[in-house]
Amino acid sequence: MYDMLTALINGALGWGWPEWALNLLSYILIVTIVLVVAPLQMLFFTYYERRVIARMQDRVGPNRVGPEGIWQPIADGVKMFTKEDIVPQAADRIVHFLAPCVVVAPTVLMFAVVPWGPGMVPVDLPTGLLFFFAISSISAVGLMMAGWASNNKFSLLGAMRAVAQMVSYEIPAVLSLIAIVIIVGSLSINEIIAYQAGLIISNRDLPGVPDLGLGWFVFTPVGFVAFVAFFIAALAEGERTPFDIPEADSEIVAGYMTEYSGMKFGLFYLAQYVLNFLLCAITAIIFFGGWQGPGVGWLYAQGITPANPNGNGLFNVLAGILGVFYFLLKTYIFFFVMVWLRGAFPRLRIDQLMDFGWKFLIPWTLANLFSAALWVAFTRWGPAEGMLITVGWSPVLRWLAAFVVTLAINLGVYLWLTRVYAASQAERRRAELEELSAAA
Amino acid sequence: MLQTQELQVNIGPQHPSTHGVFRMLVTVDGETVVDLKPVFGYLHRNHEQIAEANSYLQNMPYTDRLDYFNSMANNHAYAMAVERLAGIEVPERAEYIRVLMVELTRILNHASAVGFMINDMGAWQTPLAFGMREREKILDLFEMASGARLMCNYFRFGGVVRDLPPEFIPNLRELLRALPAYIDELERLLRDNEILLQRAIGIGILPPEVALSYGVSGPVLRGSGIPYDVRKAEPYSVYDRFDFDVPIGKVGDVYDRFLVRIEEMRQSKRIIEQVLEQLPDAKGGHINPKARQNVRPPVGDAYARIESPKGELGFYLVSDGSTKPYRYKVRAPSFINLTPLADMCRGYKVADIVVILGSIDIVMGEVDR
Repeated sequence: MYDMLTALINGALGWGWPEWALNLLSYILIVTIVLVVAPLQMLFFTYYERRVIARMQDRVGPNRVGPEGIWQPIADGVKMFTKEDIVPQAADRIVHFLAPCVVVAPTVLMFAVVPWGPGMVPVDLPTGLLFFFAISSISAVGLMMAGWASNNKFSLLGAMRAVAQMVSYEIPAVLSLIAIVIIVGSLSINEIIAYQAGLIISNRDLPGVPDLGLGWFVFTPVGFVAFVAFFIAALAEGERTPFDIPEADSEIVAGYMTEYSGMKFGLFYLAQYVLNFLLCAITAIIFFGGWQGPGVGWLYAQGITPANPNGNGLFNVLAGILGVFYFLLKTYIFFFVMVWLRGAFPRLRIDQLMDFGWKFLIPWTLANLFSAALWVAFTRWGPAEGMLITVGWSPVLRWLAAFVVTLAINLGVYLWLTRVYAASQAERRRAELEELSAAA
Repeated sequence: MLQTQELQVNIGPQHPSTHGVFRMLVTVDGETVVDLKPVFGYLHRNHEQIAEANSYLQNMPYTDRLDYFNSMANNHAYAMAVERLAGIEVPERAEYIRVLMVELTRILNHASAVGFMINDMGAWQTPLAFGMREREKILDLFEMASGARLMCNYFRFGGVVRDLPPEFIPNLRELLRALPAYIDELERLLRDNEILLQRAIGIGILPPEVALSYGVSGPVLRGSGIPYDVRKAEPYSVYDRFDFDVPIGKVGDVYDRFLVRIEEMRQSKRIIEQVLEQLPDAKGGHINPKARQNVRPPVGDAYARIESPKGELGFYLVSDGSTKPYRYKVRAPSFINLTPLADMCRGYKVADIVVILGSIDIVMGEVDR
């Protein structure tokens, strides 16, 4: 943020501000982004979701407040604020009050490490990815608090489901991300994005590839498997259909939110949508290059960067605009997929969810981890590391070998797992039952 | 060893997926259902007693309110009971129109039952919108014929209140053209979705002997593999002239009830096509002109039953010779199909309860009369 501001104010505009003023302004901007953009995204997401679902169901959706109903979320917000705040008599008042705060705070904090464009990350932590997932687990505590403090059986059932689900799906989510971390060799989100420059494939392993900003991990077998597994786990973490079990409205009313009204309920809602945004964003960042896209890298290279201090600051701004555009486009597409699933699918049962997570996703991502290690071995290791096969191969050949080997492993494990576990599980059970009843 | 405790949860009377005001007192051990006690009566409105204070004809619109999805079928059973009691003849054409209406009702009911059930499984309204789509067109037909969409009040003693309007048959033919594709689509929605299959297969198994001992009827009984259908077992009206099959399930789980409903929609379409073939040759008008509507049946009793979309619907009437029934009793299929609910739910998960309930296809207006 500081770099960008320097480029804009002292570079493009030539105002010559002192360093402390730039620092102050950059921190004000960071806090603003974290505290304002998060709720704004949530407001837009509620509107977006309702309109998309309405389109799927041959309805119009909210279209009264403002042009095409765009101010509907604001009206909903006003309604939330003016509603009575009801605390059940038997509730634990303090915990009941604290729970929404504990749920919302971590999701807002996670915004601090999301990079919006080149050089536009609020806080560039060297361990950004670790921070992201460490913080996101805190909200599970808040959910359990909400469920317990409400003193309602539906709330308790919902909270227990939520915690069980979040804890078990964090494992495949993190395992799939570790595969990428192994390839990149860094936990910094900026590093991971920078790695995805180039063309289709990573520019680090193949020198001389033009920088089109398309070196996304999703185009490699390791990245693709990690992406699919991570997105499924993200659906479970964000409590989206088909894994919206903790708040299954047709079973346990609204889960842990049942006894909340007014703005406390609004906070849970906020937390959920912000978390969904972040999960979509992190999917876009890790597997689809975040702000990387055709043109951004070139524009940024013309601007003021540590490598090129004499560049033109205007290009920094242009690169930022294009980067934010690419980033939000990808994020919204993933959110669209989430909405799409919600409009189309029924939900799984809690035991089926656990089955799927532990028996399918985790073995698959573990195998993917092995593939990631092989990728590194094929593309980077030499005789010193004991990788004697690839001695004397050209980088292209090494890269191709890595691609084929990881593809074979991931595909093989997938096919084997679908035979062992999923695919026709229901049909198999059906055949068993038919035999049983025929025998009786 | 960890100390565990069973938890009692009230699902209902105010609950999103109990299809009205219905309460289930569920004892759960974690997520597993240990016991379930259905509690109903929240919608009791003294239907039978009020009916005994009305004249016979006044009860006709009142039967619409029993199972508000299938008012035509309720009308049919009640009209048959009164006709048996008073000895009223029904012309052939009127019988064909009646069969036509009841079979349309069956398609309508099964389509929305399937939609509601997927909704109970957690889908967010979209499958329901699919289920409701053709229902609208059928309701348009009902409106053409009777003037009302839901509370049709179309049947009269000795026939139906007015003949089919001229635009009815072309519209019906158009609907029939679109119907096979629609039913196939609804079936694909179910068969091609692994999540739905996992939620439906092996859930809520009702063994045939248990089903029989509870007196269950309709698609629930046929899903358990017993080919009992009043239309075949005791052909009433003109059902003996049609060629149709009675689909049965193999296991008796939620999935089977689903498939039976889908297949019954196809069979209903077959019946309607045969009605359209035979209707022009049918003798008589839409109503027996000699039939009095303010009937005063002789002393005696009569029972009439039909295969309503939800099961065997019966009306038992006792006459004391006056213009009002002395006793009026409804054998409501929803009510009797609901009784084995506890047996069906025991041992499954909390999430399965609502799906099992949805697969029975109840309407609370009929359960609590």
